[in-house]
Amino acid sequence: MTATTEPALQLRGVDMHYGYVRALDGIDIEVRQGEVLGLLGDNGAGKSTLLKVMSGAHQPTNGEIRVHGAEQTFGSPADATHAGIQMVYQDLALVDAQDIATNLSLGREILRKGLLGWLGFIDHKAQRRRSTEEMDKLGVRTASMTRPVEMLSGGQRQVVALARGATRVFDEERNGILLLDEPTAALGYEQTQQVQALIRRLADQGVACVLVTHNLPLAMDVCDRITVLNRGRKVADIPAAETENDHLVGWITGARPSMFATEGAS
Amino acid sequence: MTVTIAAATAVSTDKDKDPALIRWLIFVRDRGIFVLWALLLIAFSIWASPYFASIDNGLLIANAAALTAIFAAGIAVGIICGALDLSIPGTAALAGCVCGWLITHGTPTGPAIFVALVLGGVVGMINGLISLRGFNPIIVTIGTLSVMSGAAAGIAGGYTISGLDSLVFLGTDRFAGVPAPVWITAALFAVLTVFLTRTRDGIRMMAVGGNAEAVRRSGIHADRYKVLGFVISGFCAALGGIVTTALVTEANPSANVSIIFNALTAVALAGVSLAGGRGSLPRVLVGALILGTISNALTIKGVSPYWATATTGLLLLGSLAVEKWVSTTVSRRLVQNASASVHTGTR
Repeated sequence: MTATTEPALQLRGVDMHYGYVRALDGIDIEVRQGEVLGLLGDNGAGKSTLLKVMSGAHQPTNGEIRVHGAEQTFGSPADATHAGIQMVYQDLALVDAQDIATNLSLGREILRKGLLGWLGFIDHKAQRRRSTEEMDKLGVRTASMTRPVEMLSGGQRQVVALARGATRVFDEERNGILLLDEPTAALGYEQTQQVQALIRRLADQGVACVLVTHNLPLAMDVCDRITVLNRGRKVADIPAAETENDHLVGWITGARPSMFATEGAS
Repeated sequence: MTVTIAAATAVSTDKDKDPALIRWLIFVRDRGIFVLWALLLIAFSIWASPYFASIDNGLLIANAAALTAIFAAGIAVGIICGALDLSIPGTAALAGCVCGWLITHGTPTGPAIFVALVLGGVVGMINGLISLRGFNPIIVTIGTLSVMSGAAAGIAGGYTISGLDSLVFLGTDRFAGVPAPVWITAALFAVLTVFLTRTRDGIRMMAVGGNAEAVRRSGIHADRYKVLGFVISGFCAALGGIVTTALVTEANPSANVSIIFNALTAVALAGVSLAGGRGSLPRVLVGALILGTISNALTIKGVSPYWATATTGLLLLGSLAVEKWVSTTVSRRLVQNASASVHTGTR
């Protein structure tokens, strides 16, 4: 919690009702630039729903979303993307058979100059150079840019997927918001470390990160602040340094009473 | 990992090059078929000497492989883009008959060919648009296969349309000593290869075949590219149909389904995965040439053509084994956890 300016992403009083089910109940959440916010909770606590609200996949029943202080209504994920919010999906969303540079450049290809560019020819060299620069900037050098993604290990693939989200965040405007859904779910120890370091580095470069995870040690290590959801309500919102594993487990399971006597105090 | 790269030559002189084994495996996967063909050529040159290794025989092989290659291009583009187009024989028959009908009814040859080619593209578009509604492309194209061959027979009145001598410039004529179908095939493959590997639309199309969701999430209309794959496939089918017609100067309305299996063999030899998203057209061309080479050499030696078919089948099974071996080796080397195996990925 270092920045003092207004939050990069702020949700106020967000409700989400599916029929009679209250998936989210008066959620207040904010994440600042350069901050990693951990979003914890048991299955069904509303983490994924909240993430979907943030990424524009779902529209909340009530409540407001502010990006860099400006109120936004997301009709679709494209709107959220336009506002500078990028989601890194659990299932990676990479094209296996294509190389790293092509994956990073998909949708923002560099065309060649002149007639060939007009015909839609791609400047592979420039794309590789840009991808190399981007990966260097993130401090991750996984493999040669011409390596097909299918020939990468799980950790490398996750790094590429993260980089793909990150580069787009930088594309939109300097300080975007990155939503990460279980980025280390399928990874081994060493690769988790790698991804963790990358998230930290992104935050240090001014990206606001929201990290949904079941991995408590990861959350304690990488997050600045941790928010716990329980049955659609926010039960804890605390700097990672001021809490401990047992407390978090208590909040997640509901054994420990909510930090907030009345909902919504933030 | 320090950054020790000179900016301009960053790509070619990458310090962190792939390990030798990986590069070798990629070579086997991507270039293995060229090596295989070269080995076959050498072996046959010795075995069937002196008749096999001559320029005339080379042209003979190329000419024999041309038709298979054209249809294989259509199949390959369809598969790479994510759908197996089975309507190709029907489209080919229809294109041949429409072209023949137009010519016998007084249309000049050029426009007749043009109409038939456009028709192929339109058939592809219809296939694509129906498939986008969520129907299985295989079933959809089986349906259109029947529709097309029925329509072809209707146009031709159930008989072959003969006397299409004005088409010979696409069939048996030679230009600079090389038969016309070889030129056509070469041009088709050159254009499609450049399209798929060098242009934005081509690369996006391959990406759609590999993981349409990833492409969609990049803000690209993935559906357009799916339809485009069918259009190209239909165009290739129509081209193949016209060349078939030109070779015998008559249009046969009955769809010859066996061309699919020949073409599929060439495509599978080339290692184009049925899962979509991967494959290269030069390899497909070599796949077709290998089929032609084997049957040519066995014919020269007086071996029954049945054995050519059997040999091709064995070769295909062998190539599957190599493919499998490469992918498992790579995953064993690279992948330390279950989530990312080489060919299934997490798609």
